[in-house]
Amino acid sequence: MNRNELQEVVTPAQSILVSTRPGEQSAGAPGSSGLSIDIVVNRQRRQLDVDPRASLLDLVRDHLHLMGTKKGCDHGQCGACTVHLDGRRVVSCLMLALQADGREVTTIEGLAGPNGSLHVMQQAFIDHDALQCGYCTPGQIMSAVACVREGHANSVAGIREYMSGNLCRCGAYVGIVAAIQDAAPRMQGAEP
Amino acid sequence: MRSFAYARPLTVMAAVQALADASPHARIIAGGTTLYDLMKLNIEAPQALVDVSRLGELTTFDTSGTRELVFGAMARMSDIAADRTLQTDYPALAESLWLAASPQVRNMATVGGNLLQRTRCAYFRGGAPYPCNKRQPGSGCAAIGGLDRSHAILGTSTSCVAVYPGDWAVALAAFDAQLDTVSPRGERTIPIDELHREPGETPHLETILKPDELIVRIRVPVTVAGRASTYHKIRDRASYAFALASAAVALRVDGDTVREARIALGGVATRPWRARDAERALMGGALTEGSARAAGELAFTAARTGQYNRFKVELGARTIAEALMIAKGRAKTS
Amino acid sequence: MTGPGPFPDVARVDARDKVRGMTPYGADNHPPNLAHAMLVTAQIGKGRLVKVDTDAARAVAGVQLVLTHQDTEGLKADGYLFANGRSFQSVQPMIGTAIAYRGQPIALVVADSLEAAIEGAEQVSAEYVTAPFSVTLDSEGTEILAQADLPLPKPAFADKNVGDADAALAAAPVTVDAVYDSAPQHQNPIELIATVASWDGDELTVYESTQHVEGIRQGLAFELGISPDKVRVISPFCGGSFGQKNAMHAQTVLVALAARTLGRPVKLVVPRSQLFHNTSFRPPTRHRVRLGADRAGKIVAAVHEIDQQTSRHDLFPSMATDTSARLHGIPNFRSRERLRRTDVQTPGFMRAPWEHAAAFAFESAIDELAYALDRDPVELRLANELPYDVVTGKPFSSRHLSECLRRGAELFGWARRRMAPRSMRETDGTLVGWGVATGAYPSVISPSIAQLRVTDDGGIVLNVGVQEMGQGARNAVAAAVADVLKVRADQVTTLLGDTKGPPPHLTAGSWGTATAVPAARQAAIDMREALRKLQPEASNGATPAGILRHAKRPFLEVEARHQAPGAPDAVFDRMKQGLLAYVGPEFPEFVSFSFIAHFVEVHVEPATCRVRVPRVVTVADCGRVVSPRTAASQLRGGVVWGIGGALREASEVDPRYGGFLNADLAEYLVPVNADIGDIQVDFVDKPDPMLNNAGVKGLGEVANVGPAAAVANAVYHATGRRVRHLPIRIEDLL
Repeated sequence: MNRNELQEVVTPAQSILVSTRPGEQSAGAPGSSGLSIDIVVNRQRRQLDVDPRASLLDLVRDHLHLMGTKKGCDHGQCGACTVHLDGRRVVSCLMLALQADGREVTTIEGLAGPNGSLHVMQQAFIDHDALQCGYCTPGQIMSAVACVREGHANSVAGIREYMSGNLCRCGAYVGIVAAIQDAAPRMQGAEP
Repeated sequence: MRSFAYARPLTVMAAVQALADASPHARIIAGGTTLYDLMKLNIEAPQALVDVSRLGELTTFDTSGTRELVFGAMARMSDIAADRTLQTDYPALAESLWLAASPQVRNMATVGGNLLQRTRCAYFRGGAPYPCNKRQPGSGCAAIGGLDRSHAILGTSTSCVAVYPGDWAVALAAFDAQLDTVSPRGERTIPIDELHREPGETPHLETILKPDELIVRIRVPVTVAGRASTYHKIRDRASYAFALASAAVALRVDGDTVREARIALGGVATRPWRARDAERALMGGALTEGSARAAGELAFTAARTGQYNRFKVELGARTIAEALMIAKGRAKTS
Repeated sequence: MTGPGPFPDVARVDARDKVRGMTPYGADNHPPNLAHAMLVTAQIGKGRLVKVDTDAARAVAGVQLVLTHQDTEGLKADGYLFANGRSFQSVQPMIGTAIAYRGQPIALVVADSLEAAIEGAEQVSAEYVTAPFSVTLDSEGTEILAQADLPLPKPAFADKNVGDADAALAAAPVTVDAVYDSAPQHQNPIELIATVASWDGDELTVYESTQHVEGIRQGLAFELGISPDKVRVISPFCGGSFGQKNAMHAQTVLVALAARTLGRPVKLVVPRSQLFHNTSFRPPTRHRVRLGADRAGKIVAAVHEIDQQTSRHDLFPSMATDTSARLHGIPNFRSRERLRRTDVQTPGFMRAPWEHAAAFAFESAIDELAYALDRDPVELRLANELPYDVVTGKPFSSRHLSECLRRGAELFGWARRRMAPRSMRETDGTLVGWGVATGAYPSVISPSIAQLRVTDDGGIVLNVGVQEMGQGARNAVAAAVADVLKVRADQVTTLLGDTKGPPPHLTAGSWGTATAVPAARQAAIDMREALRKLQPEASNGATPAGILRHAKRPFLEVEARHQAPGAPDAVFDRMKQGLLAYVGPEFPEFVSFSFIAHFVEVHVEPATCRVRVPRVVTVADCGRVVSPRTAASQLRGGVVWGIGGALREASEVDPRYGGFLNADLAEYLVPVNADIGDIQVDFVDKPDPMLNNAGVKGLGEVANVGPAAAVANAVYHATGRRVRHLPIRIEDLL
């Protein structure tokens, strides 16, 4: 028997967050141009008005000013904008901000401990020089943490395959693989 | 991108109602990895979106049934790819999922929405000034006589040679999957083989679905051929690339004799492509390197090639042949 | 001079911020009241604008401004960087109505939100008069120019003619004559080009990731007709560049203009698809290489003829044979370089701009010669080393190519290679190929000013003219200072990429280290002497801060300058104007190059012919290695580029439309993690005794000179197929 663990509790037949036309807002969606969403970002709950067209990436950068999440292609082709949505890695450029309503987002800024201590994976990236220009690095690290949690970091081949959604133009792949190999066993004990 | 109305129903019933209420120019959005991408390119410009990604009742799946496998249309590609039973009993289905896109995209994309992934033809995605009958009916096709390396050689027309880019639908085609849909007019069941259209004179019509029709479920009949199956995907990069040629193959063998062969092709055709002539040629015979190669060639006898995609005939034949031998190896070990 | 070192293995000094997402790149600046911009680009291959209709765009809610060519009165084009300008091309879009190439900007829409700016840009329409155009090397209408006849400086751009190559070739018993093609490529750093411009009264501040803040400052001031004193450009980091951000692009001045017009800061992040047409790119090339050797394996002659694309409006010259003439000691060498003018934006610099393709061609030809001679390709190269430069007759400042080859062969296990193609296989039938190629890259030095300040609270602050773009410039200059002052590299604060500091020269061409490290080192030496004067009796363990406190001095500051051997002082004046002022690789007393050897193993699947690269060994001679850890990463990165260039990357051109068709990262294929296997790198690490006081040469570019050839040679060894174009794809091997 294999049931999807992520089944949501289904509420009775109703729709939420309806707007009929842009600008004409329905109830519960205040603001002149946007719809209201309720979102937890890096453990902080936020209520935000968003343009329905906005991506989660642009929401995080332009509205929350969390600049660690990067735009490299804006079409889900490079992975620089990788964040965790309810604990799973996604490319935030290909997701409507509206679709993150009610969900929990973790960006690179939320990965370190509350006291500023680096995540095991962040330290491993430093130790193995798994970066050069640093632009793709936040996305790589968010992906790497997810890769380990998913159980895909048990072999070099697995790491390479499951890190292939994150382009590194500087070509730090050898270091990235080494960093994940190093961090994976240590993440088991270090993570809740 | 123009703004749009947005509704997010939480149940299938509410979704049907929302679709009934929505404008005729509404589009259904699930994972968004195709639709939002094309909206950003200004190729799709819906006036309204009905977001079905939170239809919790459609996110479950069950691979343990004795008659069929059932996949809720809103289940994520990554969740199904990780299913152990599927990996063992239907490796072609699992492989078609984890060899697609990237881990991040597979966490977003749904198995229902993925069936409707639109072509990667650069002339289609590029917008103006390229003519494209799919994007703008009657405007012409820039790919014909253009840079057609990645384009289709099967199922093409004089209007369109765009390749169907997906993997999962190809694997499903090999297993004769069925789709359950709902719309304000009720429910229906569609064999996967009937979902996608060949472009013909109307390449803008890619499936037989109505705009307000929602795929709710994918069902795959149980078959022992599942174990002896593979999805063999050949592409330029080792990962995170679309297929130049792919073959979903499943076999049932009795000793050396082929009792059942299922072959579906991706990366070479305008829609998921079932190679029935090749299947028939293998039936009742022994599967050898030679017969596999012959079957591969047979699948492409109707191929029409352009300037840069001629190699797909040879590559496609070899991909089928190799996939058959991989599947045969799995038949022996299972 | 033998210089310092060897240097310790030090972690990347800026890594802690980078792994936390705290490093500020250009687009990460978000001043209050920011407006967002989006470009509109031309959809014709060439012609003239008749009308730009902006009414619909202006009607979009949130749109505040639409700039077109009608709003740029008074704006001046700054000029092409090879013609005493600071821009990547001479055409400044939106001045006038001419459309020189598809993708040229025709309007800039500015709005309160990014979403509104995008919608506004989609609503702009234009009418054109079209003109015929040609965009490929072989298109009708392409104008072919002999480089030697062009008004380019001589002898730098003269054809080379050493000895009598044609006669020696005619007499040679063993010859190779082959033509090699390379595809156009785009640099595609993951960071998008972006400009944030804000005005405070008449003072303009620009945040933009670039290799050359001073160039943008000077160029912008010229274009806007204001004093450079009123412009500040800030770029402490760069999210990858690889040549793309080495000059000013069209959008910078337009964003500045929009910000001035609106009276609020404006940000533009240029979409990836537009970048394919709004930055330079690596032009396609065609190489005919002829080699002649005697039966003993002495290469007696080489003729290297090149055709390279340039734009209709600028001459992007070829410098490829500067390097191919120095790869091996070939006594008779002739080159001929031609440019082909086409209707594209001006092509330009991309990591090993000419040498990537030239080495692919030349080192493939050497491999073909090795097979013609039945000589091991490593042994053949070793047998054709000369201790001096045949082009000038001068000595090399250092040349350890033989050591690169020997050490690389040892690390790779080359001795186990069987010569015959298709002779090595895995048990499952996979074809195995081992290939080798060498590379070289000119050592060039630009002027540099270093300011070093130590304070009594322990601060050591270095401000030096070099740009950090991931290559590890901060590590290198910090290490140079740390070595002299006997402190740790991470104790040195490096202030880079701000025109408030001493004017920096463009950082490019692998000259960053050889430019900035000697200046930084000299500043540190001067500081050490100044501290010694403050407290001559100080013990060896005394810290700079301790000496300052002892002397009751709050701080001490020194400035040092460095320029290339034989460079006139005028280079500093040019640098201050944001102009090119580099010198090399020919210096008064010597010629200087970095050298490299690559050893590549490929696996080719027998049926579907997919090529994999499971391992590479690369050994580089870049002089003294100042920052071993970042250098190793940079070298591995160059090898990744070589693999991408050999097997993946091509910018696709449809001659019917112009521009580039595969203008995104899904269709322009750069290597992914799964494409890359083990890459073992090593350094000769011998200080260059002539080039500068630190013994350093360049590394970033030479890393990508030769790996593509080594892959191609390995593919030949595996399959028996000699593919003479890049990239090598499945269809070439089926």
